[in-house]
Amino acid sequence: MTDSNPRSSAPAEDTAANRQGIKIVGFLCNWCSYGGADTAGVCRFKQPTDLRVVRIPCTGRMDPLFIAKSLIYGVDGVLVSGCHPRDCHYAVGNFYARRRMEAFKAFLPFMGIDTRRFKYTWVSASEGQQWQKVVTEFSEQIHMLGPNPGVELRSGEILKVSSGLK
Amino acid sequence: MLETDRNQLHKCVEEALPELDMMIGWTRCDPLQTTPVFIRDAKSISSLTLGPFCSQNLAGYLVKPPALDAPPKPDAKPIGICVKGCDSRSLVALIQEKFITRQRVRIFGIPCGGTVDWRKVARHVELGSVKSADVQDRVLVIEDSTTTHRIALEEVLSRKCLGCRHPNPVISDVLIGAEVSPRSTGMETSYRDVDELDAKPLEERLAFWQSELDRCIRCYACRNACPLCVCQDRCIVETREPRWLTQHVGVPEKFLFHFIHAMHLAGRCTGCGECERVCPMDIPVTLIKEKLNKIMEEMLGYSAGLDPEAVPPLLTFNPGETEI
Repeated sequence: MTDSNPRSSAPAEDTAANRQGIKIVGFLCNWCSYGGADTAGVCRFKQPTDLRVVRIPCTGRMDPLFIAKSLIYGVDGVLVSGCHPRDCHYAVGNFYARRRMEAFKAFLPFMGIDTRRFKYTWVSASEGQQWQKVVTEFSEQIHMLGPNPGVELRSGEILKVSSGLK
Repeated sequence: MLETDRNQLHKCVEEALPELDMMIGWTRCDPLQTTPVFIRDAKSISSLTLGPFCSQNLAGYLVKPPALDAPPKPDAKPIGICVKGCDSRSLVALIQEKFITRQRVRIFGIPCGGTVDWRKVARHVELGSVKSADVQDRVLVIEDSTTTHRIALEEVLSRKCLGCRHPNPVISDVLIGAEVSPRSTGMETSYRDVDELDAKPLEERLAFWQSELDRCIRCYACRNACPLCVCQDRCIVETREPRWLTQHVGVPEKFLFHFIHAMHLAGRCTGCGECERVCPMDIPVTLIKEKLNKIMEEMLGYSAGLDPEAVPPLLTFNPGETEI
């Protein structure tokens, strides 16, 4: 979202964050959360500007690979949002997604990636205010964490730790 | 003991072979290792072996080319296969996902006291000079050109065997030899290595994986050896459209590959350790899957490859669960 976007009432005052170059990717389901974000925009709710939205047909489309690729390559935060459970446009997509993302969330810290950089939530198309709340809270959290170093390209500089496995 | 079991195996296979399409088993190729063998005629049965050097998981051969290329005819004879405890779980997982039918396989189950990792043996002995190797009373006895080495079996067992909970086949038609008692009975001992890494701070874990995965040469041996990696030439790491992984050699690409590999096996991996065994760079890749197995067990109470009727947890859902 940019300031020229009429649906965005996001203020330009958040420049410290902009200078920090925080990037958050949001994967929103077409039927609920994308509509919810739209509602928030139409209602001219104030929102942070760090989120880049990717529209997906359903949270059931969410491959953990999307999140892994983003976080490994240094995206600062990933937000996934879809229809509330039992409210999925395709009836069951978000039930599958829920298990997948829970497992992935628990798995991230094992590989050394801060699990607080990933969040999934449910926002319906009418919940503009809820969307504003989710985005604001998540953006604040990512700003608090600062830029994501990602995985280093070259290993020359990284600390060598012996595996210690027998 | 081993001799009796081997004779029993030969006898059972001899009886069954006329009804079988082929028999998949192990044969000794050097003192410390075995190689898979595919038997069609009775003459070769005597080359079959079992025991602590049979480290390969043969279940993968049932679903990878050439076996997969031609779907079996309805009147096809079953395939005989030797399985250890962990291999039998891979079979169950393949049956669950309908890659093979139960009728398609004749399972020769072999209770397993753990398999020897030759890399660990190499720390004690010069591999090239080994003349013969045998396990007696949980001690590995190795003869080389000059001396006899005696190494405690625990020191040379594969890492996956140290926390093994299912040494006896969970599914079999014929059981060869006596059942053995499991080395581990609970999660605490089975996931010792996972817990050890989890106890470190986040930055150290990242550094650990950066230095481990940096060695990865992306040969995809781990994927090829995995009996449950069944995408074959549709594998996402080799597709050009969309191009998820490039030809760059950086650590992020390797991270992403191992993330994908692990996530595709979440709730399906039976912990047979093939990925780690075949890794030419000695990366503890099974550890990544062990963590996901632990998550599945804690979160959903599911262990893969135990019940042929069960559905792997990520291929199903439960609307009622709100706490996960």
